[in-house]
Amino acid sequence: MTAIALLDRRRLLGLLMVALVILIAPLALSKGFFLSLLCRIGIMTIFALSYNMLLGQTGLLSFGHAVYFGLGAFATLHVLNGMAGASVHLPVTLLPLLGGAAGLLFGVVFGYVTTRRAGTTFAMISLGIGEMVAASSLMFPAFFGGEGGISGNRVTGKGWFGINYGTPLQMYYLIAFWAVLCAAAIFALSQTPLGRLANAVRDNPERVQFIGYNPQWIRYLMVVLAGFFAGVAGGLSGLQYEIVTAEALSDYTSGIVILMAFVGGIGSFYGPVIGAVLVTVLQVAVAGVTPAWPLYFGLFFLLIVLYAPGGIAGILVEHRAVWRAGLLRTLAPAYLLAALPAAMLASGIIAMVEMAYALVNGPQRGTTQLQILFLPLDGATVASWTFPLAMVGLGLFLLSRAWRSVAQQWQRVNAALQARGTLRASAAVPSEVR
Amino acid sequence: MTAPALRLTSVCKSFGRSSILKEVDLPVAVGERHAIIGPNGAGKSTLFNLVSARFPVSSGRIELKGEDITGLLPLEINRRGLSRSFQITNIFPNLTVFDNLRCSLLWALGYRYSFWHRLDGLRDARERAEQVLEQIGLSRRRSTPAGVLSYAEQRALEIGITIAGGADVILLDEPTSGMSRSESDEAVALIRRVTEGKTLVMVEHDMSVVFGLADRISVLVYGRILASGTPAEIRQNAAVQEAYLGTSFHHA
Repeated sequence: MTAIALLDRRRLLGLLMVALVILIAPLALSKGFFLSLLCRIGIMTIFALSYNMLLGQTGLLSFGHAVYFGLGAFATLHVLNGMAGASVHLPVTLLPLLGGAAGLLFGVVFGYVTTRRAGTTFAMISLGIGEMVAASSLMFPAFFGGEGGISGNRVTGKGWFGINYGTPLQMYYLIAFWAVLCAAAIFALSQTPLGRLANAVRDNPERVQFIGYNPQWIRYLMVVLAGFFAGVAGGLSGLQYEIVTAEALSDYTSGIVILMAFVGGIGSFYGPVIGAVLVTVLQVAVAGVTPAWPLYFGLFFLLIVLYAPGGIAGILVEHRAVWRAGLLRTLAPAYLLAALPAAMLASGIIAMVEMAYALVNGPQRGTTQLQILFLPLDGATVASWTFPLAMVGLGLFLLSRAWRSVAQQWQRVNAALQARGTLRASAAVPSEVR
Repeated sequence: MTAPALRLTSVCKSFGRSSILKEVDLPVAVGERHAIIGPNGAGKSTLFNLVSARFPVSSGRIELKGEDITGLLPLEINRRGLSRSFQITNIFPNLTVFDNLRCSLLWALGYRYSFWHRLDGLRDARERAEQVLEQIGLSRRRSTPAGVLSYAEQRALEIGITIAGGADVILLDEPTSGMSRSESDEAVALIRRVTEGKTLVMVEHDMSVVFGLADRISVLVYGRILASGTPAEIRQNAAVQEAYLGTSFHHA
């Protein structure tokens, strides 16, 4: 009993820390850029958590989750615009709920079609519905505003106690409020009979029928509920940017949320949160440094899929078990040994990618020269290519060597863990994705 | 006179042109332990799949406790009190052992698709799941993901999932297949324990299990019931002896 109490106290402490960070983060770094980054993280956190209700919890690989996000955003802005000049006023604070209602409603309609089947069929139908809704966004300009989208003004009056979301800081706290509330609600949902049965459907839909449940109905309810939270995220995005375009419900948005959930880790509750933070920061930070960022991001995603299918959360969970057993020291030297060639390989690749970009964009930029740290390079000269090529070659060779020792140390650690009876459980990853 | 727990009337099943079950008639009385035996390919597993509605019947009628259940969905039949296990272990590998059992009894306790109850706050579900956990002897493995259990443990969990919901008609499909002698003895003791006061229908290859456990035995050969009776009657039956000539049947 005391162990459980201790664990809960530790968890409580962690949650308090997170709450504190959320509260003071914008005060510590109140630059406009930083604040808008935080706002985007908040919105994407809700969206990614909502997506993982499908992928991680129910085993449904959806390619069209942006539909609920986008339609929630459009609905919110239409209501916001309708309120201007009307006599009835809804508090802006509660408007994200309206986005949620729209997401839920469309979940009720589309989910009925998508959830008839699981697996590949579900994935394909979700893709089809996503494309259909994206296409209709250009067919019905009256609702979707055509290419330009629709815009609005979230400041509808003086508000209560001067809270009218006229400042970015007030908007940040609105997003933070809803993000915390949605995260808590999604977690609570995962701890209900429906939430656990969704896991059962993910693991083995056939057996679910023989314990009295209809897996189709469970999938349907999860899609509807996930649609609600995606709609809340969409509503918040509508309020934050005061504009929503067809991109909000496009395959790009559907794709980015899959990347977030998967990179963060779909096997644990907080994985998608890590993914939302990381991907958003990468999107903003790396995009500011190099035009090649989608390529780097693609490489990073590949690495995760190939070598860490449990995502970053999976890596953390595995190492926490090792750390608790006091075996992290066994791994550390091997990791350090592998870090050097890994860095060599990475910098070699980066140098070559940047030179290639400089070469292609040379005519516009007027030069094919560039400088990485203190190293002057020129994509047009052979000499500049030899050094990075050598780095990649040597890095690859040394890394494959070092990786062997990492694998060896892991074998030792696993054997030790097994001997102590704390067998590592495989992360909960649906078989289609594994 | 009460209706039999289960009654099959001229049940047929064919896949394409090959007919697997031909006019099967089988009554199983309430409280009876009924074993179905027969050589490989006789249609034993198909019979189970029809009764539990995994496959639709081609013709014929199946009654559960006097009610017609032909054409119902598996989940509807389960809700009416018939639960089955599978020959190839069919569990929820990423859920803990405890959650495998708890999920299996939520419908019976009336929680349906609730997303407004906190699962850990449901005392009745927890207590019942603990009780089944105890019965199947997996208390030590409570928090282990079911997928990493040993084979014998998974077989025990398979039975646990089947009985957790409190169904009164239990179908077990080769519960001891692939087990060692001692494991299978334990499984028999377990089956005896958990089907106390219930109707049991089982498909089984192991003759010592069959003759140790069953009140009645039906022999299925080439899709037909060859004979049906008490273990003693089946042992004496000439037709059965012929069907089983040269097999382990004599040693049982």
